[in-house]
Amino acid sequence: MVPYEYYVALSGLLMVLGLIGVAVRRNIIALLLSTELMLNAVNIAFVAFDMKLADVSGQVFVFFILTIAAAEAAVGLGLIMAIYRLRKDVDTETLTELKN
Amino acid sequence: MELTITAFWVFSALAVLSAVGVVFFRNIIYAVLSLISALVMISGLFFAMGAELIGALQIIIYAVAIVVFYVLVISTVPEFKGKAFESKYILISLPVGFLIFLELAFVSLYGAWKSNTGIFTPEVISEVSNVKAVATVLFTKYLFPFEVASLILLVAMIGSIIIGKKDHVIDEEAKS
Repeated sequence: MVPYEYYVALSGLLMVLGLIGVAVRRNIIALLLSTELMLNAVNIAFVAFDMKLADVSGQVFVFFILTIAAAEAAVGLGLIMAIYRLRKDVDTETLTELKN
Repeated sequence: MELTITAFWVFSALAVLSAVGVVFFRNIIYAVLSLISALVMISGLFFAMGAELIGALQIIIYAVAIVVFYVLVISTVPEFKGKAFESKYILISLPVGFLIFLELAFVSLYGAWKSNTGIFTPEVISEVSNVKAVATVLFTKYLFPFEVASLILLVAMIGSIIIGKKDHVIDEEAKS
């Protein structure tokens, strides 16, 4: 068996990649894609600790995270549609109404 | 070499490559396609860890349902004009992200994880299946959060319908 530390390290790597994606991208849809990546990193960590601790509660929490991810994608994409209809643009650099 | 070790290295390498693709592809369609690849590879990791139910749900919910959302929205929002990346943030976020990864890896390799172990040892899991174990815990101990999750989905559905509705529909209702 692969030791669980490898899975947790992989989870950390995917989490950091998602974080870099949120920081770097300028398209709002790409920001949401990076958020999905970070949620999946958390899922890997949950299941890895389940494997270590001989429990299944983490998998139940992964189930809830899947639910939250579906809700987040629905609401976030609805917001993106509303922003696009309002401004004809999905660039984060031009969404500066709340600045100053 | 044992099969799970091979599966871990293959799936994790492909997952990390796909994640790099999600972050750094300029075209958003390619980013979504590599997100599908990353999700399928992570589901393979779940199967390798012995969480069959979560792996199957990962494919069904994430790689099919949520990605279809993204494809629909991308087909509605036309092409993205302008720069794909913010170059000054690349210079800042790559070293900072590497430092955060080192920190996470250090904690995960040398951290002392002290916790009570559960009752679902591999012997128990091989006797009752993984699906039965997860479902038993889900519908007894976590029954109330399960119901709250259904409420969250309902709220998200209503909210996304209201947010995504066209404005002139509201205006017509207000006039009449």
